[in-house]
Amino acid sequence: MAELNPDAPMPEKGLVVRGLRMAFGDTVVQHDLSFYVAPANIFVIMGVSGCGKSTLLRHIIDLQRSDVGDICFDGQRLINDDPAERAMLQSRIGVLFQSTALWSSMTVGENVALPMQLHTQLRPPEIRDQVAFKLALVGLAGQESKMPSELSGGMQKRAGLARAIALDPDYLFLDEPSAGLDPITSQRLDALIMRLRDALGVSVIAVSHELPSIFTIADDSIYLDNESKTAIAHGNPRELVENTPEPRVRAFLKREPIDEPARESA
Amino acid sequence: MSGDGALYRLDAADGECVVCLAGDWGRAERLPSAAGIHRDMGQPQAVVIDGSDLASGHPRVAAFVHALHHELDAAGVSVTERALPQNVDALVALASPPPAAVRQTQRKPRFLASLGARFQNQVRISQDAAALVGQALARTPALVTGRAQTRWRDFVDLVRETGAASLPVVTVVNLLIGAVLGFIGAVQLATFGAGMYLADLVGIASAREMAAIMTAFIMAGRIGATFAAHLATMESNEEIDALRMIGVSPFEFLALPRLAALTLMMPLLYLYGTALAIVGGMVVAHIVLGTPPIAFIERLQDAVAFRQFVIGLIKSVAFGILIALTSCYIGLHAGRNAAEVGRAATRTVVVCIIGIISIDAVAALCTNALGI
Ligand SMILES: Nc1ncnc2c1ncn2[C@@H]1O[C@H](COP(=O)(O)OP(=O)(O)O)[C@@H](O)[C@H]1O
Ligand SMILES: [Mg+2]
Repeated sequence: MAELNPDAPMPEKGLVVRGLRMAFGDTVVQHDLSFYVAPANIFVIMGVSGCGKSTLLRHIIDLQRSDVGDICFDGQRLINDDPAERAMLQSRIGVLFQSTALWSSMTVGENVALPMQLHTQLRPPEIRDQVAFKLALVGLAGQESKMPSELSGGMQKRAGLARAIALDPDYLFLDEPSAGLDPITSQRLDALIMRLRDALGVSVIAVSHELPSIFTIADDSIYLDNESKTAIAHGNPRELVENTPEPRVRAFLKREPIDEPARESA
Repeated sequence: MSGDGALYRLDAADGECVVCLAGDWGRAERLPSAAGIHRDMGQPQAVVIDGSDLASGHPRVAAFVHALHHELDAAGVSVTERALPQNVDALVALASPPPAAVRQTQRKPRFLASLGARFQNQVRISQDAAALVGQALARTPALVTGRAQTRWRDFVDLVRETGAASLPVVTVVNLLIGAVLGFIGAVQLATFGAGMYLADLVGIASAREMAAIMTAFIMAGRIGATFAAHLATMESNEEIDALRMIGVSPFEFLALPRLAALTLMMPLLYLYGTALAIVGGMVVAHIVLGTPPIAFIERLQDAVAFRQFVIGLIKSVAFGILIALTSCYIGLHAGRNAAEVGRAATRTVVVCIIGIISIDAVAALCTNALGI
């Protein structure tokens, strides 16, 4: 259940977002966002492009800050100025950015290895084993020495995912992971995401547009509305598609035309 | 045999080796490596990986099983798994390469092996094989590098980019500047019959001002713009965000090596530029005034005091710091879109040129006040 009672005590486990308002200057992107991601759940953020999904991810992982609202991981704020605690939390978070963000001057293998070099005591041969495995998991076995620019878009996405899971994180943030992937690779990716959730109890927060993928993996979801600038639907998408009263959510989930009264253009 | 905080145990009997995995791999600081274990187990015919003593099905276990499988498959040893946690089994299955990838990983050892055989047989190495070796060496993943080493290698690349790669343009510009100074001086001094002082003019002007400034302008345009555009591109690709997310300071990781490289290379390029400017002036003195190079150099030794070079050197270090900090700052603070990349490069060049001239003017005031 994604909805959150504002008076309930902060859960000890899981990710809590409460009353978040996001804005660029005076332009509000979304406001009054409250939701809860339970441990080992796959939570999907849905919405049309430009509604603020990436911005929401950036707020949760503290790349952007808001004055209004709270974000807590396992009862702890990431916005925390103690460097040691911050590093500890950061090592529990993996991120696949929308533009992949592979470090272009390093090989794919080095991209996956760098987080381990920084955050673990592992020695080079062990890191090499881990890197080979992470790349094999995303179907890029043996591609360590390629430069990111030598990979296709879909392969870059998968390499970015391998880097995101380098530290076996507790929270995995995926910004449109299957955009640009063929259906088969996309299915493998869905299987991998669910596998990781089962194996490590990782909580996945994913932005996605791909309906088949959403219906396969999501335990829970939120729909960010572009017009009212807030979330207008919460819950499991398989249930939402049957019983949401919101025409725009139904249109999104069923790909059906919006049958609401035509609005007059100003 | 056991090791690494009892994360595994090797039991060997009758050519069969059982690798018993144990303990909590998720919390362990150190892990066994597949290559290390393969060395320790000698030459078994069959290997069993047993997971019954594991405390958890952490993905690190799966990574190890995967790596050991690869290692032993390559050596032709049969491997079976026993009592692995279900998650580990599932992850290992997921990581098992699809056919295309299998072909890819098999090709590499075969290539290396054939290369080794060629060396052994003393067969002439064909040119394209040499090229392949070169490529392989250049691209061999430095997975083994620690964080400091990564930056060390970045630094070496940057030194090459700022130093060696800048030589041609620094050469041309300083030679010509020296020649231009030579022409102006020759014509003007000759009207007073003071042509012998041309060496003073060219020497002092290049050592104290022109070589440092012209080299700095070149570096602002060549390197400052490149740094700014590169960092701005990284920013727009979210690469800088990705660094922040793993707790790396973008300044330390990206700006410091650039700063070090430029601060080191600028004075060297300045000295090189001064030498070339003087050569340019000397050639012109020979052509226009008929001064023999030996006479020009003797005059130069008397005329140009050591402090002129010191002033030029200090300024060139300051210019290097200015260019590095300006370009990194502008690059790291560019907006997150493609148009910002070009804008960052242009802005860097403009700011650097103004900064270079300002530093030079302040230096002129100071040296004047100090009477040096
Ligand atoms: N740096 C920025 N400055 C101003 N507005 C921005 C910036 N980044 C994004 N926006 C705006 O915020 C809104 C949400 O963007 P984003 O979160 O990227 O959408 P999406 O849901 O497609 O991921 C968009 O309308 C976009 O124009
Ligand atoms: Mg987005």
